[in-house]
Amino acid sequence: MKAKSDFNDSELLRSMLAGDEEALALLYQRRQAGIYRFVLQMSGSPAIAEDIVQEVFMFLMREGHVFDPDRGSVYSFLLGIARNHVLRRLRGEQHLISIPDELEEEAISDKPAALEGPLDNLTRAETIEMVRKAVLSLPERYREVVVHCELEEMSYTEAAEILGCAIGTVRSRLHRARALLLEKLRPVSEENASSAAVESARCFA
Amino acid sequence: MNCQKFESIVSELARNQIMEVESPGEALAHSGECASCRLRLRNEEILTRGLRALAWETEFASAPNRIEQQLLVAFRERKVLHFALLRKSSSPYWLAAAAAVLLIVASVVAVRWRTEKPARPTTGQTAGDTRKNVPEKLVGDHSPKPGPENQKAPAIAHKPKRNARNVMAKLRPLDASGNTTSLAANNVANESVREIATEFIPLGYLNAVIFQDGGQIVRVQLPRSAMASFGLPVNMERYNERVKADVLLGVDGVAQAIRFVQ
Repeated sequence: MKAKSDFNDSELLRSMLAGDEEALALLYQRRQAGIYRFVLQMSGSPAIAEDIVQEVFMFLMREGHVFDPDRGSVYSFLLGIARNHVLRRLRGEQHLISIPDELEEEAISDKPAALEGPLDNLTRAETIEMVRKAVLSLPERYREVVVHCELEEMSYTEAAEILGCAIGTVRSRLHRARALLLEKLRPVSEENASSAAVESARCFA
Repeated sequence: MNCQKFESIVSELARNQIMEVESPGEALAHSGECASCRLRLRNEEILTRGLRALAWETEFASAPNRIEQQLLVAFRERKVLHFALLRKSSSPYWLAAAAAVLLIVASVVAVRWRTEKPARPTTGQTAGDTRKNVPEKLVGDHSPKPGPENQKAPAIAHKPKRNARNVMAKLRPLDASGNTTSLAANNVANESVREIATEFIPLGYLNAVIFQDGGQIVRVQLPRSAMASFGLPVNMERYNERVKADVLLGVDGVAQAIRFVQ
């Protein structure tokens, strides 16, 4: 007989729904980090990420029987639940800054590609912080593809399964999202470029 | 490769998604020739590095252990609550089901009791008081008392209910030659004193006309399981034993009725 640790996610889910606590623990340990990271990168808030991880697994306990293996993996199902929760939370709380859609389109269409390299003059920590802010400022539909495809390194197919859209949609959204990110990061790099000599001097002082 | 085509694939190129790019060689060659596209590719590569740095930064981020503990506690509570609700909600159904079963059993018992009631006294008398009943039941010609009653049918153990059985009750036992039963039948009759017998069970459509010219009773032995085919109870522990039976033959030699004897 197979050990529970060798069970796939679907088998663990079935066992969990049959009342097996160990199956819940194993499924949680296997999948919580990915869900936590997704919510954290979508919201920027560890507190929201913790809440939503808990809510996702609570939902799984209550409504896990609605999972349909023909429609995707258990992990995609869990990320889909997390996505719904995080979007609801973000729309409800409105605590993150979002760029209106019109501006995004203008940003993409009107401005030429950045001529100076973004993030050229930033330290690693600054780079990470700037990119984090830029990602968080993206509209939700672009942010989520960046999180899935860039930060979680999922394939277009996996992302499409979670988002419930076509692969081509994922690809085009990612393309737009990257263009937006470059636009958001360019002013900083331009500003930094002008003060690069001063900062460098200060750094070496 | 032109700049427009290059723009459409530059993201994939920067992300090293070679599979997604139709012609990476051409794209790279174009970026070598076009300064604008070269810069565009460089920016995309820098963005990719920035995003990967962010991904690595959060690579080991996970929910604190207390979340798992809280979930497990909730799971246990939910399980207990679930089973409690299940018990609570299912108990009326169990009660209803039990009541229904009891009702059905009671109905079956009552129906059986009513249908078996008329037969019981006969069976009881046959089993317990055979000696007393037999002279009345036995063949008239061989009974000690002369009279019309004594010429009635042989060894009919039960009070006949239907016409066919009435016919049988009026039958005279005959020997093989067609004469009225004599010594052999008398022996059977005497033996019957110690025997318990069922009433004659018709083997087909029983017509009184068949016995107008006489008939014959033949003692045979049958497997006990044969009783089942006449709807009689069979002791399964003794099903392979043999049981005696009297077969009532018409003048044509066709068996018309049977009774089992113990």
